[in-house]
Amino acid sequence: MISDVLRIGGRTLSSRFFLGTGLFPNPLVQKEAIKASGAEVLTFAIRRINLESPEDDSILQHVQDGDFIYLPNTSGARTAEEAVRIARLARASGLSDWIKVEISVNERTLLPDPVETLKATEILVKEGFTVLPYTSDDPVICKRLEEAGAAAVMPGAAPIGTGLGILNPYNLSLIVEEATVPIIVDAGLGSASDVAKAMELGVAGVLMNTPVAKAKDPVGMAKAMKLAIEAGRLSYLSGRIEKKRYATASSGLDEFKLT
Amino acid sequence: MSERILIMGGGVIGLSCALELARRGRRVTVLEANRCGGQASGAAAGMLAPFSENTDGPDAFFQLCLRSLRLYPEWQAEVKRLSGLDFEYTNSGSLYVAYHEADMLALQGRLLWQRKYGSTGRIVEGDELFKLEPLLSRNALAALHTPEESHLYAPDYVRALEQACRNAGVDIAERLGKVTVAERGNGISLRAADGRRFEGDRLLVCSGAWAGELSETFGIRIPVYPIRGQICAYEADRAPTGARLVEHMVFCSQGYVVAKENNTLVCGASEDVAGFDSTVTEKGIERLRKWNKRLFPFLESREPFHRWAGLRPSTQDGFPLIGPLEGDERVIFAAGHYRNGILLSPVTAKLAADCAEGKRLEPLYEAFSPDRFGRRASVHFS
Repeated sequence: MISDVLRIGGRTLSSRFFLGTGLFPNPLVQKEAIKASGAEVLTFAIRRINLESPEDDSILQHVQDGDFIYLPNTSGARTAEEAVRIARLARASGLSDWIKVEISVNERTLLPDPVETLKATEILVKEGFTVLPYTSDDPVICKRLEEAGAAAVMPGAAPIGTGLGILNPYNLSLIVEEATVPIIVDAGLGSASDVAKAMELGVAGVLMNTPVAKAKDPVGMAKAMKLAIEAGRLSYLSGRIEKKRYATASSGLDEFKLT
Repeated sequence: MSERILIMGGGVIGLSCALELARRGRRVTVLEANRCGGQASGAAAGMLAPFSENTDGPDAFFQLCLRSLRLYPEWQAEVKRLSGLDFEYTNSGSLYVAYHEADMLALQGRLLWQRKYGSTGRIVEGDELFKLEPLLSRNALAALHTPEESHLYAPDYVRALEQACRNAGVDIAERLGKVTVAERGNGISLRAADGRRFEGDRLLVCSGAWAGELSETFGIRIPVYPIRGQICAYEADRAPTGARLVEHMVFCSQGYVVAKENNTLVCGASEDVAGFDSTVTEKGIERLRKWNKRLFPFLESREPFHRWAGLRPSTQDGFPLIGPLEGDERVIFAAGHYRNGILLSPVTAKLAADCAEGKRLEPLYEAFSPDRFGRRASVHFS
């Protein structure tokens, strides 16, 4: 079997799980959940971080010991200009040159603004960032982001934190078909079955926060999501059977034939 | 003779439950391993701030916190009356400070749902903000002002609670060492480290970070972990007008600063995981000092005169355990209140007392059921 690894921005990742660090009930559960998830890429909102001393930040201090890739996000930005400004702040603080562009204007749906997202992606790519834009699940905009130089494109499954699962699997499968960069489903997933379904559509990975952090047992759920990612990926690679209308005996019809 | 209720734990939750039960005519014994209020309770900054500390949405926990906030005006007056002691309770309101334009969306999102729950909060900027809080850093872009929030001075509150309990006829036994459940038959019998026995009809578990020790006794998983919270205090003179240096509870993403009536300025909290170790560390306090000067530049040149730490009991999902044990409703839990023990003390006392009277809790409170993490022999992945 060909080794199945994910490459983004010159880095090789063994885990396809991108985990958000917010919302956990306490630092102990957060640490244990991150461990159980096997995630190598951690994301967090730049605006919440103490950029002057990130190592002492109220969230980042708890993940100091791990060898993680930080994916700071621009959540809260309402325009490309704002997103670019805080992305630069994050890089200047030495945190990371990876950036998740996240731009929303509607505080109720928090749906991404694809136009501003594209603008910010273009600018940040030119400035040498490894850009992973979070956008809507529209195949055309996803392609445009790829053409703008995004290292991976991250369409949402449903609005952030809703746990509604994949609202438009058809679109997601088209996005995967068209893409030549990794597609990572970001936002809206709720449970391990949602995750397995996303992976079976052929996406390269998933990014989650709420469904893990707000689970009754975040550590157990982190593990469940990790297994679902692995199972879904393997199922995708292994090729599922066709759906048929009627039964086919698994023991083979020949055995029942009278001679 | 009315029932006797045994309460394990003399922290703010145990004492509040004891007081409420005594007010309802029950006979109560509080059993405390060390001294009442000696752990997380006395170490708290006393923030009564459900709007500022629950920013994600109106879940069951927020609603519990809000109910408790609303009980406070009457509750604190009653504790003062019954104890004959005074303590600071200040309706200061709060400011949640934003440094980035990107913070504004989150503040607006919060207002959207918090206004439905009685917040009259609004976003203040520029001159208006600095008029509310003159010494605030000029790097602050805006703040969410929530007038409904208050704070109290926790050590005095806990002391008053204890006195109110004694005055109301509650028996308080301290310095008992580890207390265990010796018998759960017709009655309930607890045993102190020196072998002394305490008999009662019901048991209320209010042992905070130590509640997990009872997992085997009751056959349920009790995932309560101690999270160390470190706090420091500065001496804070007053302005010539008598105003405090800091008028509101001022929050940012890293923590809070609050000025107390006794001319101190409390800054918290730096959290870490250190098991049951409640020592203060240089690193923990330095962490506070690294951000608090960004909030209030005058703090840069000051040294805290007092540093302390408390173990906050947090559960696996962050919600406390409140309610009766399934299968033996004589056992009632009120533990795992994490950062909100002071705020949640009145509502917890009412709910625990309701349970002790055999009343059913409303469906909202199922989120706090002590059995929700399952039986003890559950599957554990490694």
